[in-house]
Amino acid sequence: MQLLWIRGVLARRFLRVAGAAAGVALATALLVTMTLFLLNASASMTARAVSAVPIDWQVQVIPGADAGAIGKALAQTSKVKAVHHAQYADIAGFQARTGGTTQTTGPGQVVAFDNNYASDFPAEIRPLSGSSRGVLIAQQTAANLHVGPGDTVAIDRIGLPPIDVRIAGVVDLPDADSLFQAVGLPPQAAPQAPPDNVLILPQAQWESLFDAQRKARPDTTRLQLHVRLAHNALPADPVAAFTFVTGMEKNFEAKIAGQALVADNLGSRLGAVREDALYASVLFLFLGLPGVALAVALTFAVTSSGAARRRIEQALLRVRGATTRQILSLSATEAAVAAIGGTVLGTGAALLFGLAVPGLGVTAAINGPALVIVILAGLLLGFVAFLLPVWWELRRSDPSAARRSVERDKTPLWRRLWLDLLLLGAAALFFWLSASTGYQIVLAPEGVAATSVDYKAFIAPALFWLGAALLTMRLSANVIASNGSLLRTIVAPAAGPLTTIVAAALSRQTRRLTIGIAMTALAISFATSTSIFNTTYNAQARVDAQLTNGSDVTVFGTSDNPAGARLATLASLSGTAFAEPMQHRFAYVGADLQDLYGIDPTRIGRATSLSDAYFSGGGASTILAGLAATPNGVLVSEETVQDFQLQPGDTINLRLLDARDHQYHAVPFKFIGVAREFPTAPKDSFLVANAAYVARMTGTDAAEYVLMRAKIDPALLAQQARAALGTDPSLKVADIGQAAHLIGSSLTAVDLGGLTTIELSFSVVMAAAAAGLMLALGFIERRRSFGILNAIGAKPGQLTAFLWGEGILVIAGGFIFGLLSGVVTAWMLVKLLAGVFDPPPEALSIPWAYLGIMLCLVAVSVVAAVLFSRPSISHDPEYLRDF
Amino acid sequence: MDETLVVANGIGRDFPDGNAGRITVLRDVDCAISSGARIALVGPSGSGKSTLLHILGGLDRPTSGRIEWPSLGSFEELRPRQIGFVFQSPSLFPALTAGQNVGLPMILAGERDAADRTSALLLDAFGLAELADKLPEELSGGQAQRIAMARALAIGPKLILADEPTGQLDSTTAQFFFDTVLNRLENTGIALVVATHDDAIAARMATRWTMDHGWLRSGPYRSKAT
Repeated sequence: MQLLWIRGVLARRFLRVAGAAAGVALATALLVTMTLFLLNASASMTARAVSAVPIDWQVQVIPGADAGAIGKALAQTSKVKAVHHAQYADIAGFQARTGGTTQTTGPGQVVAFDNNYASDFPAEIRPLSGSSRGVLIAQQTAANLHVGPGDTVAIDRIGLPPIDVRIAGVVDLPDADSLFQAVGLPPQAAPQAPPDNVLILPQAQWESLFDAQRKARPDTTRLQLHVRLAHNALPADPVAAFTFVTGMEKNFEAKIAGQALVADNLGSRLGAVREDALYASVLFLFLGLPGVALAVALTFAVTSSGAARRRIEQALLRVRGATTRQILSLSATEAAVAAIGGTVLGTGAALLFGLAVPGLGVTAAINGPALVIVILAGLLLGFVAFLLPVWWELRRSDPSAARRSVERDKTPLWRRLWLDLLLLGAAALFFWLSASTGYQIVLAPEGVAATSVDYKAFIAPALFWLGAALLTMRLSANVIASNGSLLRTIVAPAAGPLTTIVAAALSRQTRRLTIGIAMTALAISFATSTSIFNTTYNAQARVDAQLTNGSDVTVFGTSDNPAGARLATLASLSGTAFAEPMQHRFAYVGADLQDLYGIDPTRIGRATSLSDAYFSGGGASTILAGLAATPNGVLVSEETVQDFQLQPGDTINLRLLDARDHQYHAVPFKFIGVAREFPTAPKDSFLVANAAYVARMTGTDAAEYVLMRAKIDPALLAQQARAALGTDPSLKVADIGQAAHLIGSSLTAVDLGGLTTIELSFSVVMAAAAAGLMLALGFIERRRSFGILNAIGAKPGQLTAFLWGEGILVIAGGFIFGLLSGVVTAWMLVKLLAGVFDPPPEALSIPWAYLGIMLCLVAVSVVAAVLFSRPSISHDPEYLRDF
Repeated sequence: MDETLVVANGIGRDFPDGNAGRITVLRDVDCAISSGARIALVGPSGSGKSTLLHILGGLDRPTSGRIEWPSLGSFEELRPRQIGFVFQSPSLFPALTAGQNVGLPMILAGERDAADRTSALLLDAFGLAELADKLPEELSGGQAQRIAMARALAIGPKLILADEPTGQLDSTTAQFFFDTVLNRLENTGIALVVATHDDAIAARMATRWTMDHGWLRSGPYRSKAT
């Protein structure tokens, strides 16, 4: 019986089953791809976070403790891959005599690493000039002492006479913050600035020079064991990896019983990434679930579109003695075909899609239990979407119901209760509540294992979504049911002389049409909000990456070899849109050494993005105009303003290195504004001034950096720049792609690329499906009506006027309500997810091209639905026999 | 003087049977219809009555033979002006009121201005004036069929083809329906062909055609095989 039924259904009602299967396939495919995204995002976040940690653990041996025993304990820890020794000695200062002058620095440190250190920690020391072996001096120290390879520097040891060493090379210490951190401070403690003056000695030389100091003043020397863990043994999920690493660290601390202090850099890093992982989950919920809900709603709408026919079938089956159970059993057979077919199709399409989209990690996730759950959810959806309406109709139907395909609409309960406006009001209230807490959705406090997500924040957009859908239905219903001039104006272009009759016909189908319009509007709204959010996110990601990198491509040089000297070469590259030099010097604010950036305020904005959020007290253009108008003006970080109690207009005397005598001299600047962030600048303290003034006061116009805006892929421009500059180790070229990978707990750590591809692809498909499929199914369910129209003399053009009338109504309603609610939803999402934006966006970025294509595809799907239905309704008299 | 409205010569019609074969529904049928004719088309279910009506009305094309409408113009001009249809099952456009359904053929023919007036006149003539604003779902079967007949008459056709119009009505309602129709058509010159299983209805028609397995076995012209 079931087999006979399903054969009949497939032969006669194929589109109904195929439509439902398509809805199930869409929902399943979206769920599967979103799951793949989430799994892969977590894994890639962990991998990226781990790769950015220079030294996993820094184990500092307590004076008098047995370093050998600690090393042994480390060796017994199963996941430890390598352990190296690093010796630190505090010194009173360095001194050098060059060019007839003597330079003296303040306190510093002399360090030594064991022989194979560089093999496991290759990124700690970057050679800039001279040899990479022997006595190495940090770049800033070399600048302070004005020494280079071959010069002699005196080390002023604590409690011992000074001793001279000959410099073999100048190096950069990219991870100085970590290398010189104070081990054992509580997690909430303020970060310690690395020493300004650093010298690196070979281990044997360090032992000979500082053995006496170590014995006399053990508090001034330290031994650290730098540990590299086996990263491939870590769990993929950042939260699990954090728990794993911190647990391992605690276990190690228990073994060594207080003989050493441990700086768990890897644990700290993973702890910070936990927040990103939670944001990834939040993004999944905010951006993905509406799509899934839409696909589910679409499936229900498809199955509901055959309600009239189903009622007739059920009535016939009942007349012939079928019981409720038998009818449900037949529907279950139909449901099985749609559910299994849709799930298989959706899962297959998702996996193929995953293979086509790089970074979705199909192969890694394919065995995951999450995927099985998702597939089961797809099957369940198929069955419920089919059986629920059948069961509902069986409960309420009476024999006369079988005759009804159009009936006077009763006002639904939700309309009488004004539920749409109530939901929108509640959405506004919850949104206001989230706003009042500063949109803090995710909390992952540093040093605390527990994390939390404020799921209440989801209520506002969810209520808005529902409220907007119901309001769309209310307003559409008002326009359609009233059969007024607005409805006739909308359908007139399609219906022509039949406008009155077409409008009248449409006005009697309000319920079906408003569902079609609401589905189309929801799909367009989903596509609009997702694309606007994604575009805004990507734009901010670029701004964030530019902030870190300086610009699309930045060439970092040194005072000795400034990148600005190669400006003409860099500006002439084919991929360069604009190149701008920028000074990077150091200046003492009191005793505090800070980064000083010398810029041309009138031109810097052409080479990099300067967000209003970078400045306090005015927008970027206002602040920079103020700087341009004040030659000796300086922008100061908020921290410096607080530390030094500065007021606008105050004179600040900064000590700058003068190129003429290699001495620091006080230079007066006028404090004119606050910079919160600046391209390439550290977060805590820095200064921005006019390059021309800095050049005049220091005797050199050398610009250490060159910022380049790309008119091609930044990675390609970076390649061009590297090729043009040759192999000069002191000139480093970096593009924003590299920066994005290095940025840690901020916007780009959650790679939205895969999610964007999923969302944008599915939203287009769903928008087109919602409009086209709903119309096509509606037309096909009413084939007999169109057949009768044909029989009583309607010409093909007149028949299609009815179809076009519906189509244009769905397009008009869907476009207007969809775009409006989509923009509002995107605005809400950007506000609610402010935590992923750093800096926050100044305005929504509208993807005009995508929206244009999406709307065109919706229109095309409507046209296709009309064209697909047109021949079948006008040429086959068999439909007249249809009941 | 009677004019010949339709002439069919040797028409046949077959359809795919779903198993790569074909099923023949009409076999070599010859027939003609003149103005003012009253023809009952009888025969068992599946004998080809509906298919013959569809072909006579230009809704379907024969797969063999020849059909002409000498007084009705070209194929494209047949509907709605020359031929009206009435069907067995509910055939009103469900989204339109009874009045709009009746006026619909006139609107389709570009006579929108006269549609409302004609619709009102016809509804009145069929005793249905008070139902003008009702949706088809709100009408009884007999009312719906009278509305359908009024619609078929709206544009003033020369031929009405009715496919079992009383098939879903009880005998009293069917007789009432038919009384109304025949009264309305009297002295109009409009030809009426009614496919029916109801002998009482068939008995009231001047001519009886009998269909059997696709053959037209009786009538003014017969299938060549008989």
